[in-house]
Amino acid sequence: MIQIQNLKKSFRTEEVETLALNSVNLKVETGEFVAIMGPSGCGKSTLLNIIGMLDNPTDGAYFFNGEEVGGLKENQRTKIRKGNLGFVFQSFNLIDELTVYENVELPLIYLNMKKSERQQKVKEVLERMKIAHREKHFPQQLSGGQQQRVAIARAVVTNAKLILADEPTGNLDSKNGIEVMNLLTELNQEGTTIIMVTHSDRDSHYAHRVINLFDGQIVTESQNKPFEVNAQ
Amino acid sequence: MFRNYIKIAWRNLIKSKVYSGINIMGLAIGLTAGFLILLYVNFELSYDKFHAKGDRIYRVVSDLKTPDGVMKTDVPSCAVSPHLQEEFPEVISAVRLMYLNLAVRKDDIKFIENDAAAADEAFFEMFDFTLLQGDKKDVLRKPFSVVLTKTTAKKYFGDQQAIGQTLKIKDEDINDLSFTVTGIMDDIPENSQIKANMVISMTTYSQSILPTIDDAWGTYDPYTYILLHPNTNPNALEEKFPEFLERNTGEMMKRDQLYVSLYLEPFQEVYLHSARSMGDADGDINSVYVFSVVAIFILLIACINFINLTTARSVERAKEVGVRKVIGAEKPQLAIQFVGESIIICLIAFMITIMLTALILPTFNTLAGKVISQGIFSNPIHIFYLFLITITIGVLAGIYPAFVISSFKPVHVLKGSFSTGTKGIILRKVLVITQFTISIALILGTIIIYTQMDFMRSQELGFDKEHTIVLNTRVSPSQKELKDKLNDLPNVLSTSLASSVPGTNNAIAYSTLENSNNEDQAVSISAYFVDYDFISQFGLKILAGRGFSRTFATDSTQAMIVNEKATQLLGFTSPEKAIGAHFSQWGKEGKIIGVLQDFHFKTLEENIVPLTMTMKRDQMDLIAVKVKGQNIKETLASVQELWETVVPNEAFDFYFLDESFDKQYRTQERFGSLFFNFAILAILISCLGLFGLAAYSILQRRREIGVRKVLGASVGEVVKLLSKDFLKLVIVAFAIASPIAWFLMDYWLAEFAYRISVQWWMFVLAGSCAFIIALLTISFHAIKASLTNPIISLRTE
Repeated sequence: MIQIQNLKKSFRTEEVETLALNSVNLKVETGEFVAIMGPSGCGKSTLLNIIGMLDNPTDGAYFFNGEEVGGLKENQRTKIRKGNLGFVFQSFNLIDELTVYENVELPLIYLNMKKSERQQKVKEVLERMKIAHREKHFPQQLSGGQQQRVAIARAVVTNAKLILADEPTGNLDSKNGIEVMNLLTELNQEGTTIIMVTHSDRDSHYAHRVINLFDGQIVTESQNKPFEVNAQ
Repeated sequence: MFRNYIKIAWRNLIKSKVYSGINIMGLAIGLTAGFLILLYVNFELSYDKFHAKGDRIYRVVSDLKTPDGVMKTDVPSCAVSPHLQEEFPEVISAVRLMYLNLAVRKDDIKFIENDAAAADEAFFEMFDFTLLQGDKKDVLRKPFSVVLTKTTAKKYFGDQQAIGQTLKIKDEDINDLSFTVTGIMDDIPENSQIKANMVISMTTYSQSILPTIDDAWGTYDPYTYILLHPNTNPNALEEKFPEFLERNTGEMMKRDQLYVSLYLEPFQEVYLHSARSMGDADGDINSVYVFSVVAIFILLIACINFINLTTARSVERAKEVGVRKVIGAEKPQLAIQFVGESIIICLIAFMITIMLTALILPTFNTLAGKVISQGIFSNPIHIFYLFLITITIGVLAGIYPAFVISSFKPVHVLKGSFSTGTKGIILRKVLVITQFTISIALILGTIIIYTQMDFMRSQELGFDKEHTIVLNTRVSPSQKELKDKLNDLPNVLSTSLASSVPGTNNAIAYSTLENSNNEDQAVSISAYFVDYDFISQFGLKILAGRGFSRTFATDSTQAMIVNEKATQLLGFTSPEKAIGAHFSQWGKEGKIIGVLQDFHFKTLEENIVPLTMTMKRDQMDLIAVKVKGQNIKETLASVQELWETVVPNEAFDFYFLDESFDKQYRTQERFGSLFFNFAILAILISCLGLFGLAAYSILQRRREIGVRKVLGASVGEVVKLLSKDFLKLVIVAFAIASPIAWFLMDYWLAEFAYRISVQWWMFVLAGSCAFIIALLTISFHAIKASLTNPIISLRTE
């Protein structure tokens, strides 16, 4: 699904140029659950943003489903992202002015889906995330765990093939964190590819493969044993 | 999708009530001001457009050339109209219109009709004044016919049928004669240069009381209008006028050394474009331009507020934009969303504008001195225009913020490392400078207008205008008796008779005066006809010779007094040298016996012109009554009581000289007060914007404020720090506004013959006003922020 070759990303300010990613090579197969780990500032989020087509690499190649997407313009990236990719963030990033239902519905609106179809899909996914009873609430009226469940619902409502999660449990207590990880594992078991950035050793155990980044380079890569859903 | 946009827009408005309120109210006030000005401008442009044949009607005007110069008048001589119609096939009809001031009576009901007129019989065929009763071909055909407006008819006849009834009418020429009501017309609309509430037939003069009027080539009085055949070239017609005049009056022109030229002015352009005065019904295209520019400026200020506040607040919307982009929103979709929000805000402002306009319109009508609109809904097309303007503003003001917001990079905004960038800050600064430049220029304009008005009112006029009541007796047979009895009243100091008093129209007399070379010089000169007491009562100063005196029997028939300007016109190097010069005027001959110091008998907009004074009893229709300064009300009552005893058949017709003189500045005063009000609005809207912007800027710096306070900054230091940046912008705006305002106001002042000069203190005052207002606006937030416990601001980070 994803193939990254010799990828580099640098940020330039007026005086300094910082190399965030340096010759990264990575391959992710469909259905995989990959965790990216490493200390703060090692380039994890930058890599995830490039994989999520929110940003372009400075150099190197990035193939998504066989198509080179590294040099695409913003509007071209948006078109590929739409419906294919789902995002889950540490700070949930729900729109405060929209209700739970409306937040989850939003990606479907941008896909120009009919209202009746949207309704059905949103209901289904909210039921599945066990948050349907809160559909008329606004994000501020929910707990952190509930907000993250809404964020996951929003990420999967379009049947995204790839979910990119940036420290999805970072703002949650352990109980809610585990619930979220179980949800992601379930989605992965149903065929969704997941790439997750995390600081948490516990969360990394949910992944099939753990990639360690340091100073913008992949330093180690290890395989995990298959993880059972609902494991405590 | 749109439902989603509207939902978000609405919830955002509700969420930030204060800033939404500032945004909406700023726009609504701007739109209301802009809309009112546009109504005013539209009204001014609508003058005389309701006449179907208006584009073929021309006003005939004349230039009178004498050896001492050219006088541009707005009338030709009385004979021009009938002769033009007779001699030029291009002319379908010609109408003379003579404004009159009549004393009208129906039994015990008596009024002075200041807006009366006499017109030729084609009047109602040429102009589209609605005749409610009567045949338009017939109503002004016979002598002693009168057509009343609906309101005037009601005033005299109540609900009775007025047609066929009679009214007693009196003026200088008409001596209490009966006129028959032949027609009733609708009240003349406000946007008409022709204003009359009763029209008598011109045949009254031509067939009865002034049979020579149709051949009176030397009497310049009635306004004259001609209707041309379609496709007639008015310029070609104009070219035939010299020959026409030569044929009819060539000998007379040569004899009198007074050469006449006739010109045509398109009737529908007279009100705004003619440089020849129309008295009260005189518009000014420059005022229309000025107010159009002010309207655009105020709308611009309101738009700037909107752009500034929206882009400043965009930080709050950054996360939403980031999320929308991540989940698939494209840039154009986001841009549409934000332009849509802008339009929604504008539409709310539109509704408030309609309410505000409906509330303010009556006051605005008073301020403008005319009913520019009966009500906001009286013309739905205006609402439609306002709607279009609103949508346009919504789109224009929304485009920039929409472009900025939709350009946010999701990676940055979701990471929280987001700032609006220096470009945005610079733009906001430029916009604030623009707002304050406009505001300061308007404040400066207001100061200069008011100073000029004050200058004109307080200027030494050269005569005493205080405590003088002027009575118009229309040369009543009882005039002498009235004057004598007035002198007996305890509070009356003196009385005098005159044809004119300063500030009113005076006669222009064709005269020959002996000049310094002992030659007879033909001049058309302003003429006052006064009695023995006029000069002393008005406090006029005699520079040489003497005033009229009862001890010289010839003074009433053979004496003339002139002003300094007249002596200069005649080439005398000192006033004394003019004494004894020979004169001939309106059938009188004699010598100049005195020279007066120049006094302002016209408004200070005009230069003092040469003036003559003689004693011609049949022209003195006014009695000027000088009264004591105390108990004016009681004195007026006793004057009225006396009037009603001596002249029982006429309505008491009086005015105070000072009020009447100051009335000449009414147009300028209205201009000033409109300008003042819009300057206030401009500064108010600018400050609303600054208030919002300062709040946001300070909110973004709350951490800095917290740190500074922890490190020991005092409240004063923090306020200074926060205010400094904004006040710098006001100073820059002041530097830009000053030369612009100076240039424009100097141009405006050039209209006045007697004017102030633009002075440094005006700039200081305007700048200080803007500075203090801005400082107060910013201080509210700055003091609030500096008083906040630093722990709170540091915790919020």
